[in-house]
Amino acid sequence: MLATVWSCGNGGGEPTPGTDTDNMDRKAMLTNLADNIIIPSYDNFKTRFDVMKAASEAFVATPNQTNLVAFRKAWEEAYIEWQKVELFDIGPGEVHTIRYYFNIYPADVQGIATNVANPASDLELPTSFARQGFPALDYLLHGVAATDAEVVAYYTTAPEAAARRAYIKRITDRMNSLLTMVINEWKGGYRDTFVSKTGLDISSSTSNLVNSYIMHYERYIRSGKFGIPSGAMMNGVVAPEKVEAYYRKDLSLILARTAHQAAADFFNGKNVKTGEAGPSFNTYLTALGAKDSSTGKTLAELINTQFATSKAKMEALQPNLYNEIRTNNQAVKDVYNEMQKAVRMLKVDMASAMSITITYVDNDGD
Amino acid sequence: MQGYLHKTGSAAPLAVFRILFGLLLLASIVRFWSYGWISELYIKPRYFFPFYGFEFVRPLGEYTYLLFAVCGLSALLVALGLFYRVATVTLFLSFTYIELIDKTTYLNHYYFISLMCFMLMFLPAHVYFSADAFRNPKLRADQVPAWCLDAVKLFVGFLYFFAGLAKVNSDWLLLAQPLRIWLPAHNDLPLVGYLLNYTWVAYLFSWFGCLYDLCIPFLLWNRSTRPWAFAAVVVFHGLTALLFPIGMFPYIMIMTALIFFSADFHQRIINSLGRMLRLRGDQLVPRRIYRMHPALNYGLVGMFLVFFAVQLVLPFRHLFYPGELFWTEQGYRFSWRVMLMEKAGHTEFTVRDRSGKKVIVNNSEFLTPLQEKMMATQPDMILQYAHILRDYYAQQGFDQPQVFADSYVSLNGRLGRPLIDPEVDLANEQETFSPKSWITPFDDEIKGF
Repeated sequence: MLATVWSCGNGGGEPTPGTDTDNMDRKAMLTNLADNIIIPSYDNFKTRFDVMKAASEAFVATPNQTNLVAFRKAWEEAYIEWQKVELFDIGPGEVHTIRYYFNIYPADVQGIATNVANPASDLELPTSFARQGFPALDYLLHGVAATDAEVVAYYTTAPEAAARRAYIKRITDRMNSLLTMVINEWKGGYRDTFVSKTGLDISSSTSNLVNSYIMHYERYIRSGKFGIPSGAMMNGVVAPEKVEAYYRKDLSLILARTAHQAAADFFNGKNVKTGEAGPSFNTYLTALGAKDSSTGKTLAELINTQFATSKAKMEALQPNLYNEIRTNNQAVKDVYNEMQKAVRMLKVDMASAMSITITYVDNDGD
Repeated sequence: MQGYLHKTGSAAPLAVFRILFGLLLLASIVRFWSYGWISELYIKPRYFFPFYGFEFVRPLGEYTYLLFAVCGLSALLVALGLFYRVATVTLFLSFTYIELIDKTTYLNHYYFISLMCFMLMFLPAHVYFSADAFRNPKLRADQVPAWCLDAVKLFVGFLYFFAGLAKVNSDWLLLAQPLRIWLPAHNDLPLVGYLLNYTWVAYLFSWFGCLYDLCIPFLLWNRSTRPWAFAAVVVFHGLTALLFPIGMFPYIMIMTALIFFSADFHQRIINSLGRMLRLRGDQLVPRRIYRMHPALNYGLVGMFLVFFAVQLVLPFRHLFYPGELFWTEQGYRFSWRVMLMEKAGHTEFTVRDRSGKKVIVNNSEFLTPLQEKMMATQPDMILQYAHILRDYYAQQGFDQPQVFADSYVSLNGRLGRPLIDPEVDLANEQETFSPKSWITPFDDEIKGF
């Protein structure tokens, strides 16, 4: 009986609110999210990452300007791709806290120097989060000197050149092993575990996913990329030096936009390979009948509208967020404010409609 | 009336109730302890939310374990009927004290237990089949005033009836809220789970739940319907145990419903227990009537009349407040309003002073996640928290700090909206029984009780 009810599928098209029990099937949602978004996104990222790793190896072997430019380009593309997987803070990604080792910024310049001098330094300590990953590479690729020639000299003729090259290798190798581990675990047993935990208790996949998703949107996109550097949070202290990709300032906005788009696409269950929307938070919410009774608009529509508003505010900014914060900060704060509205809809309206408890502790103030 | 007051009935139902109530309460305490909740809820938090008028109830730090030990031991003594009078008093006081520490953990079924303990202090549930009666033949009796048992039944009837009346509202009956939100969460249950996806199932559960609560006391009281009613009790509370995280409550209610069964039924339970304990004939059949001094009898009956009068009025006190009860929650507690709302919120506070100091508060530095969650939707807790912040920041050098709440609350599937007027300085508002003018109007209507 169960199978009959679930198998009379909806052959695409718009789900009917409150009646489409197919879209209330969390197993189908988890399956789509794992197979069509999470795992292929990791694969895509791995491809970009491998290019960057090869470029880094070429540069470390032969530090010249050509290899520097190639490494930078590969770093940029991998960093952009990273924005599409950082949100999967669940399962292996969460267990190995890959986010902490890949993208904690601003980079700790002093700490990087310390680690360069000490090849045995512990990279797993919380204090070393900002000494590795993309932000450390950002500094090592763009921040160590003004001109390309000087950067090359930094890795060739300077007294510590060999140690610096070794550090680049050390941190890219570490990223590689972490990423490989996470991907292997997803493709090993975790995918099935993920798809099978269909409940809504605090250890279930949907509950963990919703929590980690909202936390990512709130803390790592809204706060990290806009709220903290603009001073919209932090009690008004403006800190443009805290932007992501501080040493490649014209990249900051692209990273933020990519992360935001990835979050919106995840909400809509957009298949990474085909671009088609599938079972997702969107369809689940709509099937549950979550809507604004006064206007009849579904909650999913309203959330998508708010995503679009935030996106439009982002698009109004120049790529160099550091400059924008210094000269046009209200526009940056506007992005924060619009994202804050989305946070509330996700955290209160969506979680409540799904009957999910928000369990993560919000550490906005720090 | 005179006749009724002197009427007596079997002591067996009260004795069985005493034993089961004590044991279940002991199990609740053990469960609470073993889950680490004592520390989680009563020791770890930095701040607490006492009830208005009970601010003297303070957390006891590490001694909270002692408090729970006293409570658990008292529950065991009540079950055994050993030092019953003292044990019921310590049980009532320790349990009630625990519940008064922090309104974050308020639950109607804790309130029920507290009041039941209160009643037991005055009821002779220990004169039959108890350690006290075993040790003291003069106490032993198998007949007690009939009103003693009826008082317990009446109280249980109140609970169900008011819980049912509270469900006679448009959200529950016409929108099937909040069950419509809660049921699909369990649609992955084996075999029947898919049914929970259907809106009609939510309506069915809502209407059945409402009728169940309204009718069950009468159906249990009536001899001919009793077996069916009890089956309904088991099914209903079994279902709620399966679907909702409500701990021991379903088991306590199933046990409590036994009080409506006949004296014979309870006598059979006691007889078989007595055989196991190898009790002598006069211990099981003392053939004696427990009589109170007439003045005491009248005094107690008078007290219970006042008790029930208060119980009758309390659920209606919300009529003294303007605005929507579910939204303002003025008069919501202590009224048997159970499982009526899916209410979620997020409330952020800004503290300012005249010199221009300003801070957006990180709630997690002050409250546990549970406290924050409960605070975010309940105006009186928001005010208490605002005062905690006012006092804290005054100590941090803010000059007469002002506290503003930016709230966003969703109720029964409606989209979130501000609960508190963001322009009002909560540092200056006082908790009273008067209506709270700084609660934003609900802008919708939920008709009903």
